[in-house]
Amino acid sequence: MDLIDPDHHDGTSDATPGGEPTHRRPGEMVFGLFLLGASLVLMWSAYGISGFKALSAPGTVPMATTAVMVVTAALVVLRTRRLPLDTTETVAKDILPGVVILVAALLVGYGLLLRPLGFLPTSALFLIVAIKALSRRGWGWTLGVSLGSLLVVWLIFRIVFSVLMPAGIVPEGEIIQVFRDLVGGSA
Amino acid sequence: METLMAFLTVFLDPELLILVAVGTFAGVYVGAIPGLSVTMAVSILISFTFSWEVYPAIALMIGIYMGGVYGGSRTAILLNIPGAPSAIATAMDGYPMAQRGEAGTAIGVTTVMSFIGGFIGIAVLALAAPLVSDFALRFQPRDYMLLAVLGILLVGSLSQGSLVKGIFAGAFGIAIGAVGRDPLTFAERFTFDLRIMESGISFIAVMIGMFGVSEALLQLHHVDRDAVRQKITRIVPSLATVRKHLPLSLQTSTIGVVIGALPGTGGDIAALMAYDHAKRVTKNPEVPFGKGAMEGLVAPETANNAAVGGAFIPMITLGIPGDAVTAIMIGALFIHGLNPGPMLMIDQPDMFWFIVGSLVAANVFMLIFGLTGIRLFTKIVEMPRSVLIPLIMLLSIVGAYAVNNSITDVYWMLGFGIFGYFMRHYGYPLGPVILGVILSRLLDDNWRRAIISEREDLGRFFYGVVTSPLSLVLFVSVILIFLSQTPLWARGKTRIFGHREGSTPQ
Repeated sequence: MDLIDPDHHDGTSDATPGGEPTHRRPGEMVFGLFLLGASLVLMWSAYGISGFKALSAPGTVPMATTAVMVVTAALVVLRTRRLPLDTTETVAKDILPGVVILVAALLVGYGLLLRPLGFLPTSALFLIVAIKALSRRGWGWTLGVSLGSLLVVWLIFRIVFSVLMPAGIVPEGEIIQVFRDLVGGSA
Repeated sequence: METLMAFLTVFLDPELLILVAVGTFAGVYVGAIPGLSVTMAVSILISFTFSWEVYPAIALMIGIYMGGVYGGSRTAILLNIPGAPSAIATAMDGYPMAQRGEAGTAIGVTTVMSFIGGFIGIAVLALAAPLVSDFALRFQPRDYMLLAVLGILLVGSLSQGSLVKGIFAGAFGIAIGAVGRDPLTFAERFTFDLRIMESGISFIAVMIGMFGVSEALLQLHHVDRDAVRQKITRIVPSLATVRKHLPLSLQTSTIGVVIGALPGTGGDIAALMAYDHAKRVTKNPEVPFGKGAMEGLVAPETANNAAVGGAFIPMITLGIPGDAVTAIMIGALFIHGLNPGPMLMIDQPDMFWFIVGSLVAANVFMLIFGLTGIRLFTKIVEMPRSVLIPLIMLLSIVGAYAVNNSITDVYWMLGFGIFGYFMRHYGYPLGPVILGVILSRLLDDNWRRAIISEREDLGRFFYGVVTSPLSLVLFVSVILIFLSQTPLWARGKTRIFGHREGSTPQ
């Protein structure tokens, strides 16, 4: 099969999982070693479940799978070590550009603020900062698009899917009740 | 008669029919917008529909699935960016056609061929699934275990990536699935004595992270890429064109159904294999492959839609997903208290015929939406990524939270999103992870059942494998996949096929 590389070695699907078959991408060795280390920790943990007590013990399948992880991770490290480094790429440009770090940080921030602040303020903050940073357009456009899309998302989830997100500092329930009363009153 | 009624359920209930239509419509656009994949959409959706009845939830997901597999071709043709993984091969000849000004023809042929492929897949599903499920009643626990292993291995071995990384991903998935208290003995597994780990890791959080957030993070690399405008004229292809490519489309549909029906492998792999097949069998294409050959469109598009029907076969009859999307649907059925497997066909045949009916409806809607609404389409696809990516992330967070109302799930989801991002960069396939998570329980249970029934004796276990034809076939397949990675196999292959393969012009 011909090698198809649609999007700059980024894994878009299982059929073309990204990476470079003939080169080592920057940081690939570190990731491989990390996986090997993590697999070893997991294997140790799996051994602790029930040891070699019985073939049907709760720890048998975990031990087998983590052993497979250790072996494959080691194989990957050995193979990766032999490949020449791709000198056309750098970590800062191709693997972890500033914009990815920024958005990842925003996501972590979202996770931390969601409970104390509530869904609406956190999401509004997230969308405004992310859209402003990504689009680099004026404040009017950014605010309009972020708040508008947040309203649509909130309406769909609250009304159609009845998902309850943490309300936080916004009295969502009361606002909805007011609208219900208005609609109910006029009908 | 009851079968017919179950099949017609979706057509007789306007609400369900509308849900399939809405799903298909949304699917076409989700598939078409680069950065939104069907797997992502279905994994986010499962968390929103879990409070619904099971029929409407399934109807919506099937629509999105069918429409999404097709929708990716649009952007592949118009922008040279596959909107969905299953359209990667479509771009290779679709875009050159568009450059020649034949975008309309390309879209038309793609739509009709997807429709044909889709129908063949559904027909095979309707005919084969009852037979397979009868047969599946005779499956031993060890056969389920071997099938699960086989499914996890197949993705790595049939894709262009490395099998070793595929196996790692699969094993990793099984380990994730094992986290928490063991359901049989209540022993703690991989909990590291933490309370929050005891109930395990929500597979929905894993899926949304891997397919939603990691994909969105990846798309950040292409934020600034602009959409290209194309004028589209005639769309509906002539009957002669369709008839001319019918033989090829039947062959590639077969490839699609088979690849779809194999556990784990789905439309993306089917499309690439079908494209490869078309290249080999088309002796004198009017236009060379890669320069805008019609055959290069027909093959992947029939195959990926045929794979949809195929993927449901192992999902319904064995409880083993045919691809990543059906893996997620198995999760959805679990949530609704249904247990896919041979007993589903016996206990609830209605469910099966409802799925077949919904697939048929979705396929018809796909044809309708595919041949209309081009103008609206170009508007939606031009939605800037700087808005789209933050919105996907917001939806992922809401989705992960909604299932258990748990903020821990959000953290897991974000963690797996960032981890999946690196996995994609370094060539680790994500499909086996999801497959591993979904199949972990099945694998573990069946292994223990099998080994207990053999009185904990490995010798007796292997004797059982060798003496049962089915187990033996599965076992040999697993061994062959491993052998295919060793130098021994490569040497043997060149000895047998060497001359023929070497002489094929690339």
